[in-house]
Amino acid sequence: MYFYIYDNFLADKKYQTQLYKIENRLVDLGIKGRTNRMTLLKNMSEVVNDGIRQGAKTIVVIGNDSSFSKIINLIVDLGLIPIDGNSKIARLLGMPAGAAACEVLAQRIIKNLDLGLAGKQYFLDSASVEGERVNIKFNNWTIQNTDAKQKISFNNLGVLSNVNKNICACDPTDGRLELVIEEPTSFFKSPSKPTIIKFSHVLIECTNTSSFLITDESTKLKMPLVIQVASRHLKVIVGSGRLF
Amino acid sequence: MFKDDNPAKDIKVADTIIGSSVKVEGDFISDHDIIIDGQVIGNIKTKNNLKIGISAVVKAEITAKNAYISGSVTGNINIMEKLYLTEKSVIKGNVKATVLTIEQGAKFNGQCQMVDLNAPVVEEKKK
Repeated sequence: MYFYIYDNFLADKKYQTQLYKIENRLVDLGIKGRTNRMTLLKNMSEVVNDGIRQGAKTIVVIGNDSSFSKIINLIVDLGLIPIDGNSKIARLLGMPAGAAACEVLAQRIIKNLDLGLAGKQYFLDSASVEGERVNIKFNNWTIQNTDAKQKISFNNLGVLSNVNKNICACDPTDGRLELVIEEPTSFFKSPSKPTIIKFSHVLIECTNTSSFLITDESTKLKMPLVIQVASRHLKVIVGSGRLF
Repeated sequence: MFKDDNPAKDIKVADTIIGSSVKVEGDFISDHDIIIDGQVIGNIKTKNNLKIGISAVVKAEITAKNAYISGSVTGNINIMEKLYLTEKSVIKGNVKATVLTIEQGAKFNGQCQMVDLNAPVVEEKKK
């Protein structure tokens, strides 16, 4: 059974027509299910857990990248209907925007994707820390950034963190994450080659106790933290135009 | 004049890149290509190609299949196939390689041993 969650920003009238089209297409394809509209007072994970208790096997979020990032802790099949063409995650998954995504949902091509795990918090895209001197410990060696202005990111998809795809091709099915340390860019200085290291398990430490690691540009976590890959943890519906 | 066909010179997609403003300490072991532009202290071991850039400062024992070195290396270098030292390279340590190319201007202080590290070991038959 499908369970559709509408993110709360879709309450805006400008999305009404788009939502009618999506709902009609879902009925046509015979994959209509229960729906729940998020509000500021509802918690996404509670809504989803209620849906699972009532027998939902596939959870589909209608919204954008941040809507999808909120439900990745679940162990059911997940889907995303992007409301517009700006969703980077949808582009990676091969999901077209709006009603066209319903066709892809109906085809049910399910792929298992890796997730990152920072402490006990899963992340789909990336975790990053900026403006801090950190120590990153691998099995037998340690890496330090010498400039606190560098941006340090641990990437799984690497689409939200705007990692240059020419230098770092993140693959969410390879069982590894990518550590990327980028130089700060300035008008007078051309950016030098970033540091890129693939890994499955690291410990990140920071001397500044008030600094945070930010996962999927939403959740702040205190360091030190173990960052590791949760291999093939997420079951997600993808399109044939996916980028992996 | 000379054809340079060292595979480590033009690594297109390296699995590991150590940028110029990071410092690595410890035993760095990989199965893939490595590019180093920063500081490394310890050991570097790869079954593939290694490129050490002009800004790199490496104090380590190095083991690799092929290597192309432009930076500063203090430590012994064991290369299974081809080793190329550019004019900017500064090497303090012993070198073992099957094929060695040194550009004019390179600073190399150490012993050099030309060996075929890939040659199969043949045992002598007892009469």
